[in-house]
Amino acid sequence: MYKTILSIIIAAIVLSNCADKEPALTFAVGGAPNEVEYWEKLIEYFTDSTGIKVTLMRQPTDTDQRRQGLVIPLKARKNDPDVFLMDVIWVGQFASSDWLLPLDTYIEADVIDLHSFFSNIISQVDMYNGKLVALPVYNDCGLLYYRKDLLEKYRFPVPTTWYELRKTAVKIQNEERGAAPHIYGFVWQGAQYEGLICTFLEFVASNRGGITDATGNIIVHNRENIEALQFMKELIHRDAISPPNTFTEMKEEEVRLSFENGHALFERNWPYAWGLHKRDESPINDKVGVAILPRFSDGTHAATLGGWHIGISKYADTPDKAWQLVKFIVSYDIQKKLALDLGWNPGRSDLYNDAQIKKHMTHVTVLQKAFENSVARPNLPYYTQVSEVLQRYVNAALSGSITPAEALERAQKEIEEVAQTYHE
Amino acid sequence: MSRELREAIPFVVPLVLFICLFILLPVVGTFWSSLWRDVSFITREFIGFENYLRLFKDLQFWRATFFTLLFPFVSVSLEMIFGIIIALVLNEQFRLRGIVRGIALLPWAIPSVIGARIWQLMYRYDYGLANYILKTIGIGPVNWLGSPISAFLSLVVADVWRTTPFVAIILLAGLQTVPEDLYKQARVDGTNALQRFFKITLPLIKPIVIVALLFRTIDAIRVFDLIYVITGGGPGGITTSLSLYGYKFFLLGDFGYGSSVSIILFLVAFLLAIGYVKIGRFREAPL
Repeated sequence: MYKTILSIIIAAIVLSNCADKEPALTFAVGGAPNEVEYWEKLIEYFTDSTGIKVTLMRQPTDTDQRRQGLVIPLKARKNDPDVFLMDVIWVGQFASSDWLLPLDTYIEADVIDLHSFFSNIISQVDMYNGKLVALPVYNDCGLLYYRKDLLEKYRFPVPTTWYELRKTAVKIQNEERGAAPHIYGFVWQGAQYEGLICTFLEFVASNRGGITDATGNIIVHNRENIEALQFMKELIHRDAISPPNTFTEMKEEEVRLSFENGHALFERNWPYAWGLHKRDESPINDKVGVAILPRFSDGTHAATLGGWHIGISKYADTPDKAWQLVKFIVSYDIQKKLALDLGWNPGRSDLYNDAQIKKHMTHVTVLQKAFENSVARPNLPYYTQVSEVLQRYVNAALSGSITPAEALERAQKEIEEVAQTYHE
Repeated sequence: MSRELREAIPFVVPLVLFICLFILLPVVGTFWSSLWRDVSFITREFIGFENYLRLFKDLQFWRATFFTLLFPFVSVSLEMIFGIIIALVLNEQFRLRGIVRGIALLPWAIPSVIGARIWQLMYRYDYGLANYILKTIGIGPVNWLGSPISAFLSLVVADVWRTTPFVAIILLAGLQTVPEDLYKQARVDGTNALQRFFKITLPLIKPIVIVALLFRTIDAIRVFDLIYVITGGGPGGITTSLSLYGYKFFLLGDFGYGSSVSIILFLVAFLLAIGYVKIGRFREAPL
C-alpha cells in the first residue's frame, strides 16, 4: 500500500520535473477576482490565435503583496514569471535592479509606433537610462469631480484655476450650509499615505514646482512648492472648505463616499470613482461632472500618474514568446476589449479617439486631456523611502503643527540623507 | 552528576529547546540581519553596527522611542488605577456577581485589532460616535486624531478600555488570596476602609500588582495594532511607536534598518522586564 503511494508520488515528481524542462511562458497577474478571470479568457484567446501556451501565475489583490510576489523570484533570478504587470512606481525600481528586458529591438523589428501611446507617459515611466523597459497597459490619474447641479444653481463655471475653485467653493458652501449642514467645498486625499504624495504632486506641479529637478534630483524645498502647500493647508484651516479630517482620515474611499453622499461640491479622485458615482444606487449619479484638475495662475494643469505597465523579466526563458504576449496585450484590439469590458483606461492614446470607446466611456475626452498633462512620481529605486519622509512632513504641515516652509525644508534635509543612505 | 540533576534533565531539555528555537533564534536572527545593509532593489552587504549609528542620528527614531516610553507610562498607570477599583468592586459579595465579572472581561476578549477599529470608527470626524455625543450636547465636532495631544489621548483611552479588564482580573485573583481574618482584626483595631486598603490589601497583593504591571508594560511598549489602525502613526508621525517605526522600514524594503529598530525595542522591553522581576523578588510583602 505504502509502496504504491510512494511510487505514485515519485512518478508525479519525476513527471512534473519533465514538464518543467520545456520552458513555459508564465504571466503573473493579480487584481480583483473578476480581472484575473478576464485575463484567463484573454490568454485562451491568445493561445488560440498564436499557438503559444501560457501559464497564469495568480497574484493577490493587495498591491504591496503583488510587488513582493514578483521581487522574490526576480531576486532569485528565477526564469518564471516571464511577463508581469507593474504599478507605475515599480518600473524604475525594477529597472534599476536590472530585472527588465529592454524592448527596443523588438519594437524596431515589429515596427511598433510608440506615438500610439502617450509620449509623456512613455518618457516619464517606461524609459530607463534611454532604454524602453515597459509599456503602459492601464492608465490612471487624478481628476476633478464636481456637482453639476450646484454649479448651475449658483451660475459658476467649472473652475480651471485653484483660486477659482476656492472662490466657488467658499461661496457655494456658505449658501448651501443651511440646507445641507455637512457640505464641504472640496474633498481630497490628505491622510498620511501614498495618496497624499499624489495630491501634493498635483498641487505643486500645477504651480511650476515639483518633486524632481531636470536632472532627476529630489528637490522639494522651493518657493513654488511652499506656496502650493500653503494653499493646501489654507483649504482646511483658513477657508475651511476642506473638512478638518482631511489630514487624518481622507483616503480614496472616504473622499469618494463623502462626495457620493452629497457632502462635497468638488472632489479629487482617480478615474475609478466615475463608474461608481454613475451607478444607479449613487445618490448623485445624474449630478456629477468630471474635469481635469485646476492649476495655479502661472502654472500648467497636472495630474499624478498611476496605472499598470507590462514588462518582460531579464531572466525569462522564453523572451521571444514573452514579447508576443506583450505585443498582444498592448495591441489596439485587446486594449479596446479591456476598456470596454473592464472599464480600464487604455494605455494607448490612439484609442481615445475610437468611436466605440467614446460612446461607451463618456468621460474619455477629459481622461485624454488629463493623461496628456500627467506627471509621474520620481523613477527612483529608493522612491518608497523618499515618499515616506515626504508623506510625514506634508501631513504635518497640513495638520498645522509646522509651517509649510519648515516642513519642506526639513523634508529636503531628510530626503537628502535618505538619498545618501540608499544610493547605490 | 547527581541523580537528582540527571532525573531533571528530560524535563528541562524540551523547555530549553523550545526557548532556543522559538525565542532565542528569532532574536539572534533579527540581530544578525540588523548588521546588514539589506535594501530591496538596491543592495545587500555586511556593515556591522552602521545601522545603529544611523539610528542614533535619526530624529524620528528618538521621537518614536519617546512615544514608546510615554505611552505605557500614561496608559498603564491609568489601567492600574482603574483595574484596582474594578477588582475591589468585583471582589465584593453582590447578586449576579458572576455575570458582572464576565461582562467586565468583554473588552479584553475582543481581538485587539477589532477593538481598535471600533474606536477608530467612534473617533471619526464626520459620523463617529464621540462627535455625535458632543453634537447632541451642543459642542462642535472635535477632530480627535488631528492634534498631537488629542491623538495621543485617543490612543490612551482605547488602550485603557481594552486592557483594564485584564489588570482587574489578575488583581482580583490576588485579592482573593488575602485572608478575611486580617480585615476583621483590623476592624477591631478601629481602622477605616482607606487604611485597610493601604496597610493590608496593597502590600499583600503587591507581587500580583507587579506581575500585572510587568505584563501590561511590556505589552504597551510593543503596541502596534492599536496605533496602526487608529492613527497610523499620525498626525505628522507624532504617534509612531517603535514597533510601527520598525514595521515601516520592513514595508519600505530596508530590512537591516528595520531589524535594528526591532532589536532596540527588544532591549527596552527586556531591560524593563528584568527591572520588574528584580523589584518583584526583593520586596517580600510586609505584614
